[in-house]
Amino acid sequence: MRQILLAAAPIAIAVFVFGASFGVLAVAAHLPAWSVVLMSALVFAGSAQFAALGVIAAGGSVLTAIFAGALLNLRFVATGIAVAGSLPGGRVLRSLLAQLSIDESYALSVRAGAPGRPDGRTLIVTGICLYVVWIAGTLIGALLGPVLGDPKRLGLDAAFPAGFVALLWPMLSGRHAVRCAVGGAAAALALAPFTPPGIPLAGAAVVGLWLAR
Amino acid sequence: MAGPLALALVLGLASLTYLMRATGSFLPNLPAAITERTGGLAPALLAALVAIQLTGPNGLIHLDVKVPAVLVAAVLAALRAPFIVCVVAGAVVAGLLRAVFHL
Repeated sequence: MRQILLAAAPIAIAVFVFGASFGVLAVAAHLPAWSVVLMSALVFAGSAQFAALGVIAAGGSVLTAIFAGALLNLRFVATGIAVAGSLPGGRVLRSLLAQLSIDESYALSVRAGAPGRPDGRTLIVTGICLYVVWIAGTLIGALLGPVLGDPKRLGLDAAFPAGFVALLWPMLSGRHAVRCAVGGAAAALALAPFTPPGIPLAGAAVVGLWLAR
Repeated sequence: MAGPLALALVLGLASLTYLMRATGSFLPNLPAAITERTGGLAPALLAALVAIQLTGPNGLIHLDVKVPAVLVAAVLAALRAPFIVCVVAGAVVAGLLRAVFHL
């Protein structure tokens, strides 16, 4: 247990700061503070929440925002299958515990487990820690946001593309990922002048699925 | 954003995310060919989101302070700077350029 917590500690700090920055930006994008904290509590997926928020901040619709966030979370279908066999209880309990898988807790459980069998206990313990820290960070950010002042003067609108780049970069290991990224950006840029918001993202998703292997 | 709309956003995204994470518990034997491909979604979508954030209302790339902000963030990300450093640096670059050049 101690070992699991020690491995999770530096990640918890990073998740807290990520949560706080999400809270600040979400309030700056005029989302009610309660909905921002609720989103972190119910969705618990940083990049998807960030993507949905980026769509809203750029003037996109709620449907487009849900679409963008949900597509980013499709990778959890694969991680959910990977962890299902390692979790205790019946289907319902397992499906609830699987909600604790985010990129970080999943990576730690894979590292702690046997090949092809992530360690369920690591997933649950780190997942709960990171869940608590993620909500706390979001809450602090949402409370702090209004104190900071005019979002545009502070350059907070540029924080979204800067954040997307920061999320994207570590994923670009391997030719497939680079190919998908370049293809996705190209598809979005090609569609953007002619189509309503949402379609460029859908095009990028199709290209990403197509180029993935 | 109005409360009901924000609630719709939260519940919509949350329920879809729940279903995705729960799939494995109910259908553990989905063919790997399907799940493998989902690995390409995240890089493609994030790159598309960067690209779209840099376009103006007409859908074409719009050269404003966001472009240098993204370049700085990309350099920092390549140097393995933490997420928050990239975000803050991007915002600061954009804010400074706006203040200095009144863009």
